[in-house]
This record gives sequence, C-alpha cells and structure tokens, in this order.
Amino acid sequence: MSAWLIILTIGFAWLGAVCVWLAGDKRPRAQHTLAVLFSVAAGLAALALIPNTSDQAVISLNAGSVFGQFTFVPDGLGVFLTVVATVIGSLAVIFSVEYMRGEAQLGRYYALILLFIGSMAGLVLTGSLFLMFVLWEMTALCSYALISFYNDDPKAVRGGIKALIITQIGGIGLLVGTLAVYIYLGDYQIDTLLAQAQTLPAGVLSFIAFTFLLAAMAKSAQVPFHTWLPDAMEAPTPVSALIHAATMVNAGVYLLARFYPAFADVAGWKTAVLTIGLLTALLAALMAVVATDLKRMLAYSTVSQLGYMVYAIGVGGVFASQFHLLSHAIFKALLFLGAGAVIHALGTRDMRQMGGLRTQMPVVSTTFMIGAAALIGLPIFNGFWSKELILESGLEGGPIWANVGTLLGAGITAFYAFRMVWMVLFGQPQGKTHVHDAGIPMKTALIPLAFGTLTSWLLIGRFGSWLQATLPYEQLNVESTEEMLLAIITTPATYLALAIVALGMVAWWQRERLTGLARSLQGVGRAAANGFGFEALNQGAVSLTQKAAAALQVTQTGQLNWNVLGIVVALVVVLLVLAGV
Amino acid sequence: MSSELTITAVTVLCLLGVALYGLLIVRNLFQVIIALQILVKGALIALVLAGKISGQINLGQSLAVTVIVADTIVAVVGLALAVQVKRYTGSLDVKNLSTLRR
Repeated sequence: MSAWLIILTIGFAWLGAVCVWLAGDKRPRAQHTLAVLFSVAAGLAALALIPNTSDQAVISLNAGSVFGQFTFVPDGLGVFLTVVATVIGSLAVIFSVEYMRGEAQLGRYYALILLFIGSMAGLVLTGSLFLMFVLWEMTALCSYALISFYNDDPKAVRGGIKALIITQIGGIGLLVGTLAVYIYLGDYQIDTLLAQAQTLPAGVLSFIAFTFLLAAMAKSAQVPFHTWLPDAMEAPTPVSALIHAATMVNAGVYLLARFYPAFADVAGWKTAVLTIGLLTALLAALMAVVATDLKRMLAYSTVSQLGYMVYAIGVGGVFASQFHLLSHAIFKALLFLGAGAVIHALGTRDMRQMGGLRTQMPVVSTTFMIGAAALIGLPIFNGFWSKELILESGLEGGPIWANVGTLLGAGITAFYAFRMVWMVLFGQPQGKTHVHDAGIPMKTALIPLAFGTLTSWLLIGRFGSWLQATLPYEQLNVESTEEMLLAIITTPATYLALAIVALGMVAWWQRERLTGLARSLQGVGRAAANGFGFEALNQGAVSLTQKAAAALQVTQTGQLNWNVLGIVVALVVVLLVLAGV
Repeated sequence: MSSELTITAVTVLCLLGVALYGLLIVRNLFQVIIALQILVKGALIALVLAGKISGQINLGQSLAVTVIVADTIVAVVGLALAVQVKRYTGSLDVKNLSTLRR
C-alpha cells in the first residue's frame, strides 16, 4: 500500500512535468490545468501516506554493484516533509495560475516545479544515502533553473548561478560524507549508519558529521553560505514561496535532524551546530531590519528562522526544530504568496513604494497579517508555539549566552516583521493608488495557508507521537498535546520572550522617539545593509579561483609534443606505482 | 624466459621507445602519423607476446588482428586530416594547429 503511494506521489509529479511540457506553450490553458491536476494528485497521494507510515523500507530496488539498494522508507519524518512539499507545492501551482497568467514559456516553468516537487518527495523518503545525494542535486538544479527563469534578466541568471555554485559546496560535502560511509560500512542505507555509527572510528564519524554539517549549511543558507538565498529572490514569487521558503531550504535541517542520533556524541558537533544556527538567526534578522526589497526581506527572515531550526538541533531539540519547520513552512509560504499578490498588483518589490493596501486588498492583507503574526510569534498562531518550544529546549540543553541570543533574535524578528506589515499594509499609498484584490486562484492558495497558520499547532501532540513511533533511533521526549501546550504556557521563559517580542514591536511604534538609539546603532545598520561583508568573502573566493585558473592556463600549451610528454610521464608514474616502488 | 621471447620483448621496447621519442620531437604532421603507426605496431607485437606468455595465444592473436583493423582506420583518417590541414593552413607544422594557446 505505502509502496504504491510513494510511487504515486513521486510519479504524479514527474509525469505531470512531462505532460505539461508535451502540452506545449501554445496551449497555456491546458498547461495550467494539467499542472494543477498533477500537483494536487501528488498532494493527495502524499496525504494518504500519513496513516501508512512505517520504519521499514517498503520499496527496495537493486541498483547493482557499488550503487547499492535504492530503498524508500515512509517514516514519520520523511512523510511529514513529503506532505509539506506536495501540499504547499500544489498551493503554489494554484497560485501560479493567476500569477503567471500571460507569461511565455509556461511549460518550462511548470515542468521544473513539478520535477522539483517529485525530487523533494524522493529526497526525504529515500533510505539510501546515494539516491538521496542524487535527488539533493536534482532539487538544486531545479532551484537554479527556476531562479534564472527570466533568463533575459542578467540579475536572475547571476542569482541562479550563484545559488547553484554555493549549494554545490554542500553537495560535495554530502557526497564525500556518503562515500566515507560506504567505505567504512559497505552500505548506503541510512539505517545502517544510524545503527552502526558508534562502531566507526571516532575520527571517521566526526569527519562524516562535519561534512554533513557543511552540506546542511549550504543548502539551508546558514552563515557564511547564506548569501545565495536573498539573490535567489529573482525567481517568480510562487517559486520563492515553495523552494526558497517552505521546502528545499529545509533539506539541510532535515539532514541534521535525520542523523542527529548518530552525530550527537561527536565532540564539538553540537556546539558547532548551535553556534552556526544562532549566528545565522541573529545576523539574518539584523539584515532583514534594513532591507527595503520586500522579497529580500522575507528571504533574510527565512534564513533567520532556518537558523533557529538549526540552533534547536544543536541544543538537542530535534522535535522542536521539526515542529518549527512545519509552522515556518506554512506561515512563510503564506507570507511569500501574500507578497507575491502585492507585487503582482503593484508591479514593484520596493516596500517604500507600498502602503495603504489594507483597505484595497482586504483578503491579501488579512492573510498577510496572520502570517506576520505567526512570524513575530504572537500567541495562538503556530509560530508562537513552535518558537517557544525552541526557546524551551534551548533552556534545557543550551548555554546561557545562546539563550540570551535567541531571545534577542525574537525581539529583532518582531521589530522587522512589524515594520514590514506597517510599510506594506498601513500608512499612505505611495505608488499606484488603485489596486484590485487577488483573484480566485490566489485566494484559493492563501486561505488554506492562513487557516493552517491558525490551527497547525493543535497537531503538536499527534505530530510528536507519530514521529516518535516511526523513528527508532531518535529520543524525542514528546508528550500529549495538552501537556506540551501547558508546559509552554507555564514556563516563565515564554513570558520573557513575549515581553521581548512586545518590546520589539513597541520599538517600531516609538521609532521617532528612539532616534538617539537609532543613531547610536547606525554603524550596525550600515554593516547589515552591506550584508556584514559576506559578499566580499564570496568575491574573494571567485577572484582567487579565477587567478588560480589563469596561472594554470600556462600548462595548456595546445601543442602535441608537450601533451605526449605529459602522457609519457604519467605512464612512467603509473608503471612505477604498479611496480610498487 | 627463452631467448626468442627476450628478443621479441626487446623489439617491443625499441619500437615503443622510437615511437614516443618521435612523438616528442617531430613537428611535421606526416611524421607524427608515422610515429603513431610505429607505436601501434609495438603495442601489437606486445599483445601477441602477452598472449604467448600467459598461454592464451589465441586471445593475443585475435586482439592483434582487431588492432590492425582499427589502426588502419586511424591511419586513413589521420592522413586525410593531414591533407586537409595542408590545404587550409599551408603548412604541416603541428605548432600551427594549436588554438588553445593564449
């Protein structure tokens, strides 16, 4: 049963990609319809997987010799992320029907989105590290091609290539780690690694742990690899919502959560994860404060929230990180799609040219405010519960400076989210004065996400026990819904966090009175606007590579005699090695 | 090893040495092709020799015949290219063929 459901989930998405492409760009109506039908079918198949979870491999294909067995394991973690990918994927496709209306080359657009949805589902469901690497790279490829979708815009092409190169660093990390696992355990199965991690030599295990951390950092846009995500915002907005907020960027967090039982005891690993997560959460939040481009601001906010998830894993709160992943996927997809509706109506991404949209776009505004409230972490919304859960696990397993840092980050988050809502929805209209509210396809995508933002936290207990039941190696310490909610409500830390969040919001209200404070923080603001110099780091790496290549060019004479000399020397070396000298 | 085999082995080494030396120094395209032919002939005899030593003389000989066929094609295509090079560039110097040079 679950074997067929896995095949259907991935198959519908990939079949849809082929069908949309075959339909041809001369029939856009057929393309819209086919894309919606196939993505919704994949979403339904994924939802049907929920009651059919198990911790055993249900599909096992023998790929032969060194490729090992290609297995698929529908356990809680995998199915949860599959549902996120396919359901939010189908909502993004529905949203695209209106957002991408009249665009050329829809076939390429929808085919890549559907290919991505299938690859992402496969990536989280597979039990083979090798297949996981292949699908990991496929998602990176789809991401690159969709960022560069408007390929006559040099900025889009640059952003796509940048994303591809930086995520490749992570891909290499994953590949090297995977090969190390294969060399020492003779198997690619994730279960084998989890079961036999402690039998590996300590040096090898920590090597694998840190290569996987590198992979997660590049994929989940952690400092210093975060620079690709803001530049990825040249993609069409539904793509940003799906790939760069709700699904692909979570793959790194998934990787860390999946292998946490194996790596938790590696010396320094948890501290490294915790530090990277915290640093990312704080720096990205500061950059979000000074951003003026609505989508870039949301991208920095995504980086910051991903930092919280990574931090949660570093302090041992795997369940908290996954629960925040669920909340964040829903409310950030909502925010991105809401932003897409605003951008679609106004034709600009600059927040300074927005304002006063609350009365003109009531549905978009309401849903957008719900998303922002969840991002801030106001009570009742799903972001509140998951963020408090992360803060709580920080109190249990993290050092005191880390707790101070996360609380500070929560305050900055409240400040920038409030600033965003104010600049976009309130105040005086700055640019276009007459705009229409979103159409039916956009509302169809926004309203379920807003509903999810309001209610997904009610599933906390069920979600926890479901994960616990199918992940034999994880210790999640979950309780029933009531107990966990009660624990959050009764912790004093929650009220401290709420007070800091309120402080962040008040700071925006009273920004005129705080000019003295603002002036003293001007240096920080300028540094944040310049991205804290991480871009210079990238430029340095690029120019270093180019210089090295130019230096090596001397060896390429293009002359036969020199090439023959190279061959002869190589032959002599090989013969000497074979002779055992 | 019998003297017969030793002589063959020395022949192979001589052929390979002459061919590689030729490839290293000659610049005329025809001479390059000739050197390449000598190289392949050396390899050919080496195959038969290897078959003899390992006791699978049939295998060595059939491989050698295959190499002769493939080698003929290489020679023909190489010479045809050399003729075209002469026609288009006016010289047979392999140095002039380089387009990778800065």
